[in-house]
Amino acid sequence: MKPLDPRLVRRIGPARRHILVTAGLGFVTALLILVQALVIARLLAPILSPVPLADDGLHWWGRIVPEGARTLATGLTVLGVVVAARAAVAWLQERLAHRAGVQVISQLREMVVEHVATRGPRWSAGGRTAEVATLVTRGLDDLLPYFVRYLPQLALAVTVTPVMIVVVLGLDWLSAVIVVATLPLVPVFMILVGLVTQERSARHLEAMQRLGARTLDLIEGLPTLKALGRERGPAARVRELGEAQRRATMGSLRVAFLSGMVLELLTTLAVAIVAVTMGFRLIDGHIGIETALAVLVLAPEVYLPIRNVGTHFHASADGLAAADAAFSLLDEEDPARSRASLGPAPDARGRAIAVEGLAVATPDGTRLAPGALTFTAAPGAITALRGPNGEGKSTALLALTGLLAPDAGSVAVGDVTVQRDDAAVEETSWLAQVAWVPQRPDLGPEGRTLSLGQRQRRALARAFESDRPVVLLDEPTSHLDRASRAEVIAGMRALADAGATVVVATHEAEVLAAADAVVDVTATRVEAVAP
Amino acid sequence: MRGARRSDLAVLRDAIRDTGVSRWAIIRAVLAGTMALGSAVGLSAVAAWLIAKAAQMPSPADVALAATIVRFFGVSRGLFRYLERLASHDAALRGVVTLRERAYDRLASSGARTVLGLRRGDIVARMGADLDAIGDAVVRAIVPLGVAATVSAISVAIVAVLLPVAGLALAACLLLAGVVPAILTARSARIAADAGARAQVEVTSASLSAMDGAAEHRVWGTAAAAAATLREADRDAEDAHELAARPAAWAAGFQALFSGVALVALVALGVLAVQSGDLDGPAAAVVALLPLAAFEAVGAVPAAVMQYFRSAAAARRLAELSDREAADPAPAVREVPAASSLALDALSVAWPGMEPTRPVTGAVAPGQVLAVVGRSGVGKTTLLTTLAGALPPAAGTVTADGAPASPVHTGTTVAMTAEDAHVFGTTVLENLRVARGDVTEEQAWAALKVVGLDGWVRGLPAGLDTELGTGGRSVSGGERRRLLLARAGLAPAPVVLIDEPAEHLDDAGADALRALVSRMRAEGRTVVLVTHDLSVLDLADAVVSLDD
Repeated sequence: MKPLDPRLVRRIGPARRHILVTAGLGFVTALLILVQALVIARLLAPILSPVPLADDGLHWWGRIVPEGARTLATGLTVLGVVVAARAAVAWLQERLAHRAGVQVISQLREMVVEHVATRGPRWSAGGRTAEVATLVTRGLDDLLPYFVRYLPQLALAVTVTPVMIVVVLGLDWLSAVIVVATLPLVPVFMILVGLVTQERSARHLEAMQRLGARTLDLIEGLPTLKALGRERGPAARVRELGEAQRRATMGSLRVAFLSGMVLELLTTLAVAIVAVTMGFRLIDGHIGIETALAVLVLAPEVYLPIRNVGTHFHASADGLAAADAAFSLLDEEDPARSRASLGPAPDARGRAIAVEGLAVATPDGTRLAPGALTFTAAPGAITALRGPNGEGKSTALLALTGLLAPDAGSVAVGDVTVQRDDAAVEETSWLAQVAWVPQRPDLGPEGRTLSLGQRQRRALARAFESDRPVVLLDEPTSHLDRASRAEVIAGMRALADAGATVVVATHEAEVLAAADAVVDVTATRVEAVAP
Repeated sequence: MRGARRSDLAVLRDAIRDTGVSRWAIIRAVLAGTMALGSAVGLSAVAAWLIAKAAQMPSPADVALAATIVRFFGVSRGLFRYLERLASHDAALRGVVTLRERAYDRLASSGARTVLGLRRGDIVARMGADLDAIGDAVVRAIVPLGVAATVSAISVAIVAVLLPVAGLALAACLLLAGVVPAILTARSARIAADAGARAQVEVTSASLSAMDGAAEHRVWGTAAAAAATLREADRDAEDAHELAARPAAWAAGFQALFSGVALVALVALGVLAVQSGDLDGPAAAVVALLPLAAFEAVGAVPAAVMQYFRSAAAARRLAELSDREAADPAPAVREVPAASSLALDALSVAWPGMEPTRPVTGAVAPGQVLAVVGRSGVGKTTLLTTLAGALPPAAGTVTADGAPASPVHTGTTVAMTAEDAHVFGTTVLENLRVARGDVTEEQAWAALKVVGLDGWVRGLPAGLDTELGTGGRSVSGGERRRLLLARAGLAPAPVVLIDEPAEHLDDAGADALRALVSRMRAEGRTVVLVTHDLSVLDLADAVVSLDD
């Protein structure tokens, strides 16, 4: 798996900036670790060397920390500055990572929401809404650990590790050889362990998930058992299933932790070997104490970021999965919006709406609902669409708004076509003339605290007061008591008297009785077409 | 601050006590963890001594033992870390199994009203993810904190033996590097739980509204306003997170600072001790270089504190699940009468906080059928729950054979089949045995035949022993409904309540329902059907309506 999604870098400003900043802080950290190691070597070498130090044991790197740091006052001052700087970098890194993380999440969330909001209602009804809602409200939060924990370690792995290898090479080539030789072993062994244990861990994982699902299934049925007086029995079964699940889980963990062990084993052992090798070469006088101290302090730093990257692997996997889900959603094309433009919409006031052969395929494609709907809604009158559930009344209203493209037929104002399967008038100029109240209207976050009936009344009030020439109402009297129902009917009548074209989808007798014209809406089966 | 609310620590402690995780299991994990991180400290100390000693150019034999120990520590760290992870996960998993059984037991013996009022999502979340989160307290909070304490103590001991004043300095720095970030992290977690959670609610509601109401926003030209509302909610969430991130950043900074201060102090003390002749070179190298390895263990403290808060919140939710009501008095064997009548007198029902239903009066004797009708959402299921004795009436009375219906009746005198009754992920036979544990294969076939499901079961790969999918998902709506009817027919209770029995049933299914009802009638059982489907009314001897 890729450690970084290129789309995050390309399309999300805060992510790009933060990755650059993190890389920069990584280099600063590398420099600080280097100076710290060199100062420690400078300070300790004089007290450990049996003879006064003649050469500069830090070779070329001595230019960074001159020999003057061998004195306690100078050395400690430099060390103190390095320590303060490292604390500041740690503080800054954490601070910036949190900020960048939430900004990336906000931006992605806003992009996804906007993208979903501009899709047709058919897409929203396609069953993906729950999945998208989960992604937007919770799933994207997985990016936070990715930014706060994983990315900084990744940055250190690509900055500190190579810098330290170069430095060790400059100090003592033999230690560098040990380091460079063991480093590739880490991924090689981890992949090997992964391959060898793949089948085994897949088997355990499957057992684990199956048993987990069974336990929860049993627990989920508790109210049913209680209603039959049988709630006491399954406790033992819950335990049995739990025990089996524990055994399966431990089986998979025993394998899964192996790769972690390989990582720790190789990295620690390499440091130990570097230390022991230097020890024997010190005795032979092949290496100076100042050099040896610097390498001893630096060697673990080569491996530390790699180990941490391994530790935070899950943060990476979850975060990247969330980002991927968001980006693949954003990259989906919307076929409903690719209709040709018929120019600005004509003025609908005082003109009849003529619907001719209007048909919309159901999402599964087996039926047309409505199938070939034809009617004319006169201005100053109430036209009711009648029919059982699922025949396409609401869909017909949606096609009138143009939010949904019909699969056949047309909608015209007077003799000017406004909606067709392959073309439509400009959305804004048409929708500015349309007042539409769907079932279960949404009135924004505040509206969510209202009851369905209250929401219905507010949404209707907005439509009644809007003075738009075309009024489309979907089951306006549902969730309302008798008095409110009468008010709604009076409101519709007042609109029609004022000249509006009112189209209402309903199955209520009271509304049908108030209508000036009633149109039956029926669906048709799609005939299998011979090739 | 929160009055009678129990502290996080008390709630989590109780939950962990309930897991039955033994002290010994935790000690074992902490020991393995101590050996792992102790190996890192040991490696650093012995390697420092080895290098420093070697610089004095002794004979190779003098450092041979140290070289062996360094290599040993090089291997032991990975090995013991592996053992620690296994030990802590095993302890936690065992604990979760025990806790799940106990929590199930406690929930099962909670009041019928609590249990029947549970939402499925709640049960699964509490008994699944929340229980796991409590187990995580062992792996990610208790063991790391224990290891941090022991490894810190070992580091301090090594240094103190060589140079007491340096030991003191290291102890102070380790303590500060553990405690100060812990306090800051706790602060951060509290802010996140408070302001952060509030902001998150706003973000959720703004996102959902912008998406669900998208079509309306386009019609009314409010799309930009909806986007702006979301952006504002997002800014608020960012600000709330910023508040929580501030102490977390200080925690990270302080950890780096205190470990650095320890390094400066111990290098200085080590060098000075050699210059004054109090310490030889190799010992001073150990003192000076140990801080580089000693702070790894306390580095785990902030994450452990975060986990502590997560686990405590989970423990609190779990406790609230079954705490709502005192448990039913649970006699070991509850007596089931052979027959019972049911009488409703001006009965009005409601869950707490709900509008009570219109009062209804009616009676049904053994061998009779009462139908309760009403629109959807009017409170039919609530009425059934009340008839089952699980919910006290809002007004009026319901009596079973003259005695007020109470939780004692639930499941014994009165068996109820809810509309969303659960089909378990086990065999057909076991699903029928949910009604009565001793159902024989013949009885099962007979019950299936009454509801017309025998043909379907015969067609299944293993007949009665065929496993149905988890949650009954491989079963169609009509088959599920008939299976539940067959189960209701097998229940030994004299009073049988069935919610929406005709839902999802075609004409043949409706015939099956008729057959089942007439059979129960013949058995002298008291049957109550609740439905919005008026076509089943001809089955009933009496009808009461919840509609105005």
